[in-house]
Amino acid sequence: MSEARVLHAEVGIVGAGPGGLAAAVELVRQGLSVLVLDEGQQPGGQIFRQLPPGAAALPGQEPPSHQAGHGLLAAATEHAVPVHHGATVWNVAPGRLWFEQHGQSWLLCCRHLVLATGAFDRCVPFPGWTLPGVTTAGALQVMVRGYGVVPGRRALVVGSGPLLLPTVATLHQAGVEVVAALEASSRWRALRALPAVLTNAARRREALWYARSLLRAGVRLRWGWTVFACEGDGRVQRAVIGKVDAEGNPRRGSERRLEVDVVGAGFGLVPSIELGQLLGCRTRYDAPRGGHCLEVDGQQGTSVAGVYAVGEACGVGGAEVAMAEGRLAAAAIVAAVRQTPIDAALRTRVAAERRAADAMLRAFAPLPGLHRLATDDTLVCRCEDVPLARARAAAALHGDSLRAIKVGCRAGMGPCQGRICGSSLQALATGRCDVVPDLPVAQVPGKPVRSATIVDAPEPPATA
Amino acid sequence: MVETAEVVVVGGGIIGCAVTWQLANLLPAGTRIVLLDRGPIAGGTSGSCMGHLMVTPDDAREYAFTHESVRLWRELQEQQGGFDYNPTGALYLADTDEDAAMFPVLQQQFGACGDHADVLDRKQLRELEPGLAADLPGALFYPGDGVVLPMLACGAMLRAARQANPNVVVRPFTAVVGVDCDARGVSAVRTTPATIATRAVVNCCGVYAPELQRTLGGPPLPIVPRAGNLAITGHHVSPVRTQLLEISYLRFAHGAAKVDPTRTDDPGGHAVNMQPQSHGGCLIGSTRQFRGMDRTLNPALLRRSLQRAQRYAPGLAAAPIVRTWVGLRPYSLDKHPLIGPWPAVPGLWVAAGHEGLGISLAPITGRLLAEMFTGRPTTIDATAWLPARFGA
Ligand SMILES: Cc1cc2nc3c(=O)[nH]c(=O)nc-3n(C[C@@H](O)[C@H](O)[C@H](O)COP(=O)(O)OP(=O)(O)OC[C@H]3O[C@@H](n4cnc5c(N)ncnc54)[C@H](O)[C@@H]3O)c2cc1C
Ligand SMILES: Cc1cc2nc3c(=O)[nH]c(=O)nc-3n(C[C@H](O)[C@H](O)[C@H](O)COP(=O)(O)OP(=O)(O)OC[C@H]3O[C@@H](n4cnc5c(N)ncnc54)[C@H](O)[C@@H]3O)c2cc1C
Repeated sequence: MSEARVLHAEVGIVGAGPGGLAAAVELVRQGLSVLVLDEGQQPGGQIFRQLPPGAAALPGQEPPSHQAGHGLLAAATEHAVPVHHGATVWNVAPGRLWFEQHGQSWLLCCRHLVLATGAFDRCVPFPGWTLPGVTTAGALQVMVRGYGVVPGRRALVVGSGPLLLPTVATLHQAGVEVVAALEASSRWRALRALPAVLTNAARRREALWYARSLLRAGVRLRWGWTVFACEGDGRVQRAVIGKVDAEGNPRRGSERRLEVDVVGAGFGLVPSIELGQLLGCRTRYDAPRGGHCLEVDGQQGTSVAGVYAVGEACGVGGAEVAMAEGRLAAAAIVAAVRQTPIDAALRTRVAAERRAADAMLRAFAPLPGLHRLATDDTLVCRCEDVPLARARAAAALHGDSLRAIKVGCRAGMGPCQGRICGSSLQALATGRCDVVPDLPVAQVPGKPVRSATIVDAPEPPATA
Repeated sequence: MVETAEVVVVGGGIIGCAVTWQLANLLPAGTRIVLLDRGPIAGGTSGSCMGHLMVTPDDAREYAFTHESVRLWRELQEQQGGFDYNPTGALYLADTDEDAAMFPVLQQQFGACGDHADVLDRKQLRELEPGLAADLPGALFYPGDGVVLPMLACGAMLRAARQANPNVVVRPFTAVVGVDCDARGVSAVRTTPATIATRAVVNCCGVYAPELQRTLGGPPLPIVPRAGNLAITGHHVSPVRTQLLEISYLRFAHGAAKVDPTRTDDPGGHAVNMQPQSHGGCLIGSTRQFRGMDRTLNPALLRRSLQRAQRYAPGLAAAPIVRTWVGLRPYSLDKHPLIGPWPAVPGLWVAAGHEGLGISLAPITGRLLAEMFTGRPTTIDATAWLPARFGA
C-alpha cells in the first residue's frame, strides 16, 4: 500500500517561495525532473502571496518586487513546474523528503535537495502583545493578501526594518486607516542603509515605490518610536507608544496613547532552518540576518553533500537574494549532473544582492533594549502560557541556556516549538539582552504532523 | 579562600534534587549543601523521560519501596505543588485474551501487598476511558499511581530544600572533573571553576555515574544506558485521561531485560505507555534498547510504539505530534538502584541506576540516603540497594 506513496524526482525542493521557485524554473528549463513541496495552498511563498482563486484583487498598484514575482510565477506555469501544495515536510535525510499531504504520508526520493524554507516573524513580547487584534506583520500579510480579510479600521504598524513599509501599504490598500507607523531604529542608524539601497537598482525602485505609497496613505514614519503596550477589553482598543533610545531601551515618560483596533508588529524575521538541522547541516549565527542560519558555500551547497539551501534559510535577505540564490543552486545542481561549469555571473549576482541586503539589514539589526518592554506578567511563550517572571525563575534555578529555561518552565515546548518565542526567550529570561541565543535542537517532526503520518511513513525503496 | 561544603551532591537530575531535598530536611539547618550539574538542572534523563509515579507490587519489598515513595510525592505536592501532579491512577491494558489473563495475576499481587486493584470489563473500561478502542477486553485499574512533570518537580524539590535550609547552593553548568582523597577518604571536589573542600560527595549522575566514579579508580559502577524514544502531541487532543500502559509492559520493562545490556546490538522492544499531560496533550512511549550513549531517534521503534498506541486509542492517529526525542535510562546490571555509601572510598556515596523508575523512586531514594548519611534508622529496610553488593 505504501509503495504507491513514494515519488521520485531528480531534485526535491522544499518551499515554493521566490528561492524555491527560481531554482525549480531553472532546473526544469535544463531538463531535470523536479518536485516542489510547500505547506501553503498557493505558490509564491511569503512575498508573492497569491489570493485564493475567486477572491477580489486588492486595488492599487503593486510594488516592483511583486511584479518580479508575477514574472516568476508565469515562468513556473509556462515550464509546468510541478508543485505540491498543502505538503508539510516533516522529516528529511539525504535524498529523502517525507511529507504529509491531505492527511496522507508520502516519501519523495531524489538525488539533490534544495531547502528554500524561508523565515518566520521575530516576536518581541510587550504587555498586551497576545491580545486579539495584535498580530505580526507576517500574519497581517497572510490575512489580507492570502485570504482577503480586512482586519479592522484603525491600524498601528510597529517594528523595525524593511517589512514595515509593505505592511503599511497592504493595510492601506485593504482600506484600513494606518494611524501611525513606528520604526524603532533611529533615523541616523537607518541612514547607513542608504548607500546600499541607492547602488542596487531593484532596491532603489522598491524604496521609491514605498516612499510614494506612504505619501499616498498619508502616513509619516516615526523613527525611534515603538509600541510599549496594547490594552483593551477582550481585544486591542488602545496602544501605548513611546520613544526608544539608540539601543532600543524604552524611554519611560514619553508615552502616548492611540485608539486602534489593529496592531501589526514586525520586528524582522528568523530563518527557518529545522530541516537543515535534521539533515545535520552546519549552521552559523548572524544577528543582522535573523540569527542562526544554514551555512552555504559559494554554490549554495550546505555542509551535507547533495543538500543546497537558498533564500532566508541561509539568512534573511529578501526576494531578490532568494531568486538569485535559487538560480545559482539550480546551476550548481546542473553542473554536478552534467559536469558543466557554472556561469560566473550567477555567483556575482548572488554576492551583489547579499551585499545590498546585508547593508540594509545591519541598519535594522535587532535592538537589544526592546527586550525591556516586557513586564513580569507578559507572556513570553504563548503556547505554554509562560509569563516572564516564570521564565526568569527558571533561568535562575535551572541555568542560563535555552534548554535550561525550557525544562525549567516549559517555554518553547508547545506546538510552535519555540518558533515564536525562541529568538527572544533567552535574553528575556536571563536579562542579558545582547546574549547570542543557543541554537535550538531540532527533532522529528520538523513541523507537527499526524501520528498516523509518522506510523505510515513509506520506507525508501531498496533500489533507490 | 577555599570554598567548603558539608556535602556536595553531583548531578541535578531528579535523584540529585531529591537527595538535596532530603539532606536539607535531615541535616541541621545552616549546613552547607552544594548541588552541582555540568548542564542545566533537569537537563539530563530527568528532562527527557515520562512522569509516571508507579507502584510496583512484585513483592513486599518492591511494594514498600515504590509505595512509600509515591506517598512522599503526595507530601511534596501538598507542601510545594507546581509540578503538574495528577493522581490519575493507572490503567493496565490488554490487547489479547492472553494478556488479559494477566489481570488477575497482577490484581492478586496488589492484594498480597495489602492494597487493591480493580479488574474492569469492556463496558466499565469504556465508561472510564471512552477514547479507547471498543474491542479491548477490559483492563486492570490501580488507583494509587499518578503523573508528574519531572523537570518542574526538580524545581519543587529544590525550593523545598531551600526552605528547610537556606544554605543549600544550586549551581548548574558546573562540571565535576575529579574527586580528591586523602588518608581519611574524600577531601575535595574539583569543579570546572574551582575546588570545593568537602568530606562527602554523593554521585547522582544517572547514566554518567560510572564516568564520575572512574575518576576515583576502583571497580566500575555497574550502570549502562538504556534508550527510550518518546513522542508528544499538541495540546487538548489526548484521547485519554488516565495514565495507561500495556500489561505486557511488565514482561520487558524495569527488571525484565532478557538481552545482554553490555552489548550494543540489542534490537530493542516496546510496550505502550500513554500519559495525559496537564495541557491536554499526550506523551507516548516507550521503547527500550541498549545501544550505548546514542541519543538519535530510532524511527522504526518509535513508529511501532505509535502504532501500538493508535491501536489502543484510535483517535490518536489524527493527533498532531509536535516533537520526538530520546532519553537514556540508567540501567543497573542487577536491575536495582544503588543507594548508600561506596565502601571503597570513605565519604563517597552513590544514588543512581534507577532505570525506568527513577521519577517514581526519587523521594524514597533521597530519604534513604539522607537517613544513612545522618546515621538514622531507615524508613524501610534498604539493605537490598546498598552499593556494597557490587563488591566495592
Ligand atoms: C514529562 C515531559 C514532558 C515533555 N513535554 C514536552 C512537550 O510537550 N514539548 C516538547 O517539545 N518537549 C517536551 N519535553 C521534552 C523536553 O524537555 C526536551 O525536548 C527533551 O528533553 C528532548 O530534548 P532534545 O533531544 O530535543 O534536546 P534539547 O532539549 O535541545 O537538549 C539536549 C541536551 O541534553 C543533553 N543531555 C545530555 N545527556 C542527556 C541524557 N542522558 N538525556 C537527555 N539529554 C541529555 C544533551 O547533551 C543536549 O545538550 C518533555 C519532557 C518531559 C520529561
Ligand atoms: C523514555 C523514558 C521514560 C521514562 N519514564 C519514567 C516514568 O514514567 N516513571 C519513572 O519513574 N521513571 C521513568 N523514567 C526513568 C527516569 O527518567 C530516570 O530513572 C531518572 O530520570 C534518572 O534520574 P537521575 O537523576 O539519576 O539522572 P539524570 O536526570 O540524568 O541526572 C544526572 C545528572 O548528572 C549530571 N552530571 C553527569 N556527570 C556530571 C559531572 N561530572 N559533573 C556534574 N554533573 C554531572 C548530568 O548533567 C545530569 O543532569 C524514564 C526514562 C526514560 C528514558
